[in-house]
Amino acid sequence: MKINVKQMIAHIFLGVLTIVLLFPIIFAIANSFKTLEEATNHIWRFIPLNPTIKNYIHVFETLPFGRITWNTFLIAFTVTIFKSLTSIIAAYAFVFFDFKGKRLLYFTLISTMFIPFTVTMIPNYITVSALGLNDSIWGVALPQLADALGIFLLRQSMRTIPKSFIEVAKIEKVGHLRILSDILVPLVKPAIISTGIIFFINSWNEYVWPVLILKSKENYTLSLALQMFISAEGGTDFTVAMAVSVITMIVPLVLYLIFQRYIINTFALSGIKG
Amino acid sequence: MKKIVFDQVCKSYEKKQVVKDLNMKIKAGERLILLGPSGCGKSTTLRMIAGLEDITSGDLYMGGRRVNDVESGNRNVSMVFQNYALYPHMTVRQNIEYALKVNKYPEKEIVERINEAVRMLDLVGLEDRKPRELSGGQRQRVALARAIVKRADYFLLDEPLSNLDAQLRAHARKELVRIHEQYHQTMIYVTHDQTEAMTVGQKIALMDKGKLQAFDTPKNIYHKPANVFTAKFIGSPPMNVIEATYDDEKLFIDGKKMRVPSAWRKVIRKQGKVYFGIRPEDVRLRKKENAKEYSLKAVIRYVEDYGDKYGVYFQINSTEMLAVCEGEVPMPGESVYFEPNFDKVHFFDGESTENLGYPKEE
Repeated sequence: MKINVKQMIAHIFLGVLTIVLLFPIIFAIANSFKTLEEATNHIWRFIPLNPTIKNYIHVFETLPFGRITWNTFLIAFTVTIFKSLTSIIAAYAFVFFDFKGKRLLYFTLISTMFIPFTVTMIPNYITVSALGLNDSIWGVALPQLADALGIFLLRQSMRTIPKSFIEVAKIEKVGHLRILSDILVPLVKPAIISTGIIFFINSWNEYVWPVLILKSKENYTLSLALQMFISAEGGTDFTVAMAVSVITMIVPLVLYLIFQRYIINTFALSGIKG
Repeated sequence: MKKIVFDQVCKSYEKKQVVKDLNMKIKAGERLILLGPSGCGKSTTLRMIAGLEDITSGDLYMGGRRVNDVESGNRNVSMVFQNYALYPHMTVRQNIEYALKVNKYPEKEIVERINEAVRMLDLVGLEDRKPRELSGGQRQRVALARAIVKRADYFLLDEPLSNLDAQLRAHARKELVRIHEQYHQTMIYVTHDQTEAMTVGQKIALMDKGKLQAFDTPKNIYHKPANVFTAKFIGSPPMNVIEATYDDEKLFIDGKKMRVPSAWRKVIRKQGKVYFGIRPEDVRLRKKENAKEYSLKAVIRYVEDYGDKYGVYFQINSTEMLAVCEGEVPMPGESVYFEPNFDKVHFFDGESTENLGYPKEE
């Protein structure tokens, strides 16, 4: 059999990359099931000698973990739904409407993707405080209800839909909302799902903004809780911190595994190379 | 009251004018073909009727009402697109009934209309299929069915047959005429295919570079073309149109002199540059011994075999023309005598390229 050298190099490269990327995940899972003693003495052992779920029990005993998971979910869910809605509507207008200044408006909007978080952090903080949403999960969600990335990705996807689909509907006196719900959304469903997953995972993993807004522990999100366990506040028990890490990453990992096909397609279509 | 009137209609995209001063009256219930090469403004004209393009200036009337600012959905038009625009996630039935459902037609009526359309267009048994499971011809019929269930006053078609193969196209042409004869909507049909135009149209509007070149019945457009563009565009192979000079009752083609019959002399009258047109099938090439008084010497350059006929390319000095002949095959290099059938020639003005008219029948 002829060996394809190019393909072999690619496989070796991808294999190494997979190991590098999987390593922290396996490391966290393995150590979360070890006692602190075993972890200290045998940190590189990937199969614990005496597996224990004590670390997980400890986590749930010290913090209202159900509540924290619920908070994280509620924020991520709200952000995902609203961001998806605003992105769908804006992308529809940018693709199928003709109006003066469309290109300028679009590129201005897209350029906001390049503004670093640190620039908008303080104005957003002042706004959220003024609205009385300090220390509220809604204060975390509010500034994220619309976003340029979603508009960009959905616009790319909607541009592949022939204009005649919308024109037929217009001639037949179908309103914009019906066009969106009956025609466009079903046709760009894969892109909507994948951008939704990206929104959800981003919000789920968010740290800096919640840390600014949320003060009381019952309002915490998972990433804040995780920080507690690796700082002095929650004790520096390394295996417990690993248990929190595992809990935090379960949801994004599962979502990604289920919907990875859509996500890859959406990015391939948008011209962004990952 | 289903007539359409264009009054000085112009359409520009930024600085580019794509339709220029269009004046046209389309009678109620007529089958009008918008014909022309690509980029001539025919699709834009159709889209202005559909309300999918704004009108830059001028007025468009449909059924006596000025519709410049009337939304597409309120113009009572139905349209078949070139790509059919069938929704891929809906079945055939869902595609056809969608607009009726959205516009809240009674369920009973929807069912009746769909059954009629499905039967008429031979789509029985395909109702639950998705468009991707259909052939090109079937998709085209679904798009037609969707357009006819609305029973709109105006039926617009944008190159509806261009994605079909030749055999299906001929069949679909007949079907379209049959549908029109049943419903008698005002039908506007865009195509660049002159065979479609001649067979489907009751009237043809020929456009070029945004201007209306001819507006007449297919017969008149073919037999009495309004100008050089029309003469060259209609007919396959195209008409030979050559520059000539008319002087002292004679026609000079590339330096060679040809006598013109007296009836034509009354038509041309004005001396100077003219365009002389003759369809390839109206050209006769004779051997020297049979040459007549109105003929010119020519040399055969190339012969094409069409099966039942021959296409013979010949030159009069440096001017090349085509003749379609039957019978004996001439050989390249052979000298012949070009003899136009003066009952079937055309003369156009050398400046405006407009048709100069025809001799009065005596």
